[in-house]
Amino acid sequence: MSDKPHEHKPAPMVDEVSDFEALEIAVRELAIEKGLFSAEDHRRWTEYVHTLGPLPAARLVAKAWLDPEYKKLAVTDGVKASLAVGVDWINSPPTGFGTPSDYCNLRVLEDTPKLKHVVVCTLCSCYPRPILGQSPEWYRTPNYRRRLVRWPRQVLAEFGLQLPSDVEIRVADSNQKTRYMVLPVRPAGTEGWTEDQLTAIVTRDCLIGVAMPKPGVTTNIKRPVHPAVHPVHHDH
Amino acid sequence: MIASDKNARSSEGGCPKTDLKLIALLESIKRRGRGWEDLAAQYGVTNPDPPWKIALDATCDLLAGNSMVLPADQVVPGSCALPSVERRAEEDDLSATIYADVPFPERQLLALAHSMIRHGLIDEEELTRRMKQVHERLTSV
Repeated sequence: MSDKPHEHKPAPMVDEVSDFEALEIAVRELAIEKGLFSAEDHRRWTEYVHTLGPLPAARLVAKAWLDPEYKKLAVTDGVKASLAVGVDWINSPPTGFGTPSDYCNLRVLEDTPKLKHVVVCTLCSCYPRPILGQSPEWYRTPNYRRRLVRWPRQVLAEFGLQLPSDVEIRVADSNQKTRYMVLPVRPAGTEGWTEDQLTAIVTRDCLIGVAMPKPGVTTNIKRPVHPAVHPVHHDH
Repeated sequence: MIASDKNARSSEGGCPKTDLKLIALLESIKRRGRGWEDLAAQYGVTNPDPPWKIALDATCDLLAGNSMVLPADQVVPGSCALPSVERRAEEDDLSATIYADVPFPERQLLALAHSMIRHGLIDEEELTRRMKQVHERLTSV
């Protein structure tokens, strides 16, 4: 054993308990005590959600770019195509509650040079979480949800995506049974790239449809979140 | 391709409007609570979301039961503690009004606690007591 001092520096961590952290735990504990759900269900669901992220969807796109047969499968049967990237829509989610069989209709929307898809959930924030992870904050906002369906071209421009007027835009409105992801056009300059290289440029925003993949770009833009111009009044 | 079979909240049976009355405990947290952005900057932490975010999402999902996966008009009243569409609509209302100045995901958490109190799932006083106990437990080293 070396006498040298331990040189490994621990990663920085927040060393205080915030009121928000205490609130989250308190709400959860009370819900469990009142039997609204079990601690075991919560643990299983949390573990499952921890495994989710946009990487499988990015890999699905990369595979589709490289393999025309796989692309056909992806656009005709997204759930089956997901298996090749390690996502089992039917069996992976914890089944201790709900009906996961209803929660497994993924549609992969293929862009062309003259057709651009973009995904929204106008009602709430339905999102293809098994293959794309948690939705970004802006996706949840009424501002995005309401304006995208009315003025898709302008909203995409706010994300920095300026589309020529001859490119048709289709907005796919997610719902509780059907989730969507976008299969963008493979960009020029990626000839000869490997699946890993291609996967790296398919960002979450490309998969929602508010960005296009580009060599050298591997991160999402940080979009400021705006309140809706008109206050929320749901027709409850 | 705007879906025509959108699972809109049923206007027939209808849900009550969101109760926007302030809740003292949550107002107090709103005023003095330190958000993740603030804490992360102070401690040099780079993960964008607080560690409790996934637990919060799981709580929301579990309260929704099968309303996560059924159209709103097929969810049997009382079959889950807090239907997802109702909770999200209330979160929208609360986020646009009394919690508008709170960052995300802290406002999602406040909105959930607000909805649970207003729906009678938990009580403000017991939540206050439990928060105190949690805080004591986590800081009793």
